[in-house]
Amino acid sequence: MQDINIQLPSILDQVIQSIPAFKAELALIFAFLGSILATLFLDKIWKQSSFVITIIGIVASLILSTQQLGAPQNGFFGMLIIDDFSVYARGIIQVALLICVIFIQQHFHHKKFSKNLGDVYSILLAAALGMNILTMTSNWLLAFIAIETVSISSYILVGYFSENKKQSEASMKYVLFGSVSAAVMLYGLSLIYGFTGNLDFTSFEHIQGLIEAPKILLSIALLFMFVGIGFKLSFVPFHMWAPDVYEGAPTPITTFLSTVPKIGALVLLARLFEEWTSTSFFFSELVLVLVSVAAIVTMLAGNLIALRQSNIKRMMAYSSIGHTGFLLMALVGNLASEPQVLLFYIAVYTIMNLAVFGLIDILEQKTGSAQLENYQGLGKQFPILFSILTLLGISLVGLPPTAGFVGKLFVFTSIFDLFQFNNNRYYLILLVVGALTSVISLFYYFKIPLFAFLRKGNEIKILPTTSTQIVYITAILLGVSTLVLGIFPSILLSLFR
Amino acid sequence: MITLTHFLVVSACIFCIGLYTVLAKRNAIMILVGIELMINAAILNFVAFSKYDKINYGGQVFALFAIVLAAASVAVGLAIILNVYRHYKTINPDNITDLRD
Repeated sequence: MQDINIQLPSILDQVIQSIPAFKAELALIFAFLGSILATLFLDKIWKQSSFVITIIGIVASLILSTQQLGAPQNGFFGMLIIDDFSVYARGIIQVALLICVIFIQQHFHHKKFSKNLGDVYSILLAAALGMNILTMTSNWLLAFIAIETVSISSYILVGYFSENKKQSEASMKYVLFGSVSAAVMLYGLSLIYGFTGNLDFTSFEHIQGLIEAPKILLSIALLFMFVGIGFKLSFVPFHMWAPDVYEGAPTPITTFLSTVPKIGALVLLARLFEEWTSTSFFFSELVLVLVSVAAIVTMLAGNLIALRQSNIKRMMAYSSIGHTGFLLMALVGNLASEPQVLLFYIAVYTIMNLAVFGLIDILEQKTGSAQLENYQGLGKQFPILFSILTLLGISLVGLPPTAGFVGKLFVFTSIFDLFQFNNNRYYLILLVVGALTSVISLFYYFKIPLFAFLRKGNEIKILPTTSTQIVYITAILLGVSTLVLGIFPSILLSLFR
Repeated sequence: MITLTHFLVVSACIFCIGLYTVLAKRNAIMILVGIELMINAAILNFVAFSKYDKINYGGQVFALFAIVLAAASVAVGLAIILNVYRHYKTINPDNITDLRD
């Protein structure tokens, strides 16, 4: 008791000193509280109050986090690591979230609900807080809290409206699968804590404890831990929830789920992977093999199953699973190259997915369907929309002259460097499978222009929509930016330097 | 004398019971109960290991946070299951299969 009394003032001093390191997240917290209060009290006077507060909060957080660029620091006894990597990742998250918020506002604002739309924005802000923390921690406690914050917010987002049977089913599958993964991950973390006696996965004691741990128990603990991260990233075999949830959820929510939470989890995994593969002991080999095998299987399964989908949202769900495999490959390649390769691919993936789902949202509102057959012959009616969608398909496959090509080229180069460096056969398999699945993905992305331009279809009644203009313009801008970034990738690369 | 091994065996048993409940039960609420058992097994582990971590008490703090998070996710889960019941009049996950390949 005596020790605590002596230590307490110094502990409090350090906590107070660490607060400036947390200011970008504090902006989100205040916006979260403000948006709840605005929904409660201002909603009757001004419908858009919580939307405006959310936008202001995200922009403020973006500005505050860019101020931390180039000034690496630690806060809260090393629980928060603020380096350039986390600042860039948070920048991508914030911008993507801003676009998602606009999509959500445009999709729902003219519909009549018994429920309050304002609450959705506050839940989105809570998810943003969790993802921000994921990008800047190396402490298991904080990482677990952040993962759970993002997960619980996502469950609510999927289930909040439950206008029809499908939405409620999707949310139930999501919540059950997610809670089981979180529980399994927690058990794995408790075992890892038992081996090491330390919760910071970059610390010396942690690595030392992992080196000395018994092999079988350690393998079980690491596998359990990867269940939780795998659920958030939706890599195979923890991907079963993704197609159902993406199909069932309202399209703007799917836009959010398929892009933003993955960035946070991927940055956490990148930190873990870089730190844990630096030794030559058993656990490093195990982590490398686990991530490589997950990447290979995910690329194959995601792209192959996507071939036989007829619902465009479900097809894009499997396509995003395939891209998760590729992101894992980029993460392995991150060992050989600068972090901007990984960041570039994350940014490009986010841009492409946001644009595709934005366009799908418009199509779904106009035709009332997400089935590919119903888009037959629609190319004449919406020439610009389907041209952009085709361009995005080209970019998702990774053909020049688009940003997807540049991103894939960088990843393949870095993996090839690794292979030349130490001739590990996993790198070779990664290269072959990565190239092969890119070719496979060509077939299903080109189904969209095939149906829209080349097939003649029955006349489909176009439903009257009140306003899709802003989503449309945003999606077109994003689509054009993939082309621009494909020709001048240095714009984005110089940003990440 | 109760040693660390006793705690670990008990928690492993609780974890397996929870996992069995999750996999075998045909009722969404029973699945939530199973999840709760799995989380509590992990919490027991954390508290038991924390005996050897006298400086930071990381395990005990983790246990406290895990209890709060488990409560939060179960609350959300129950609300969602209630919603499913309104639409389907059943909470057996095997009967709720509108979304599938």
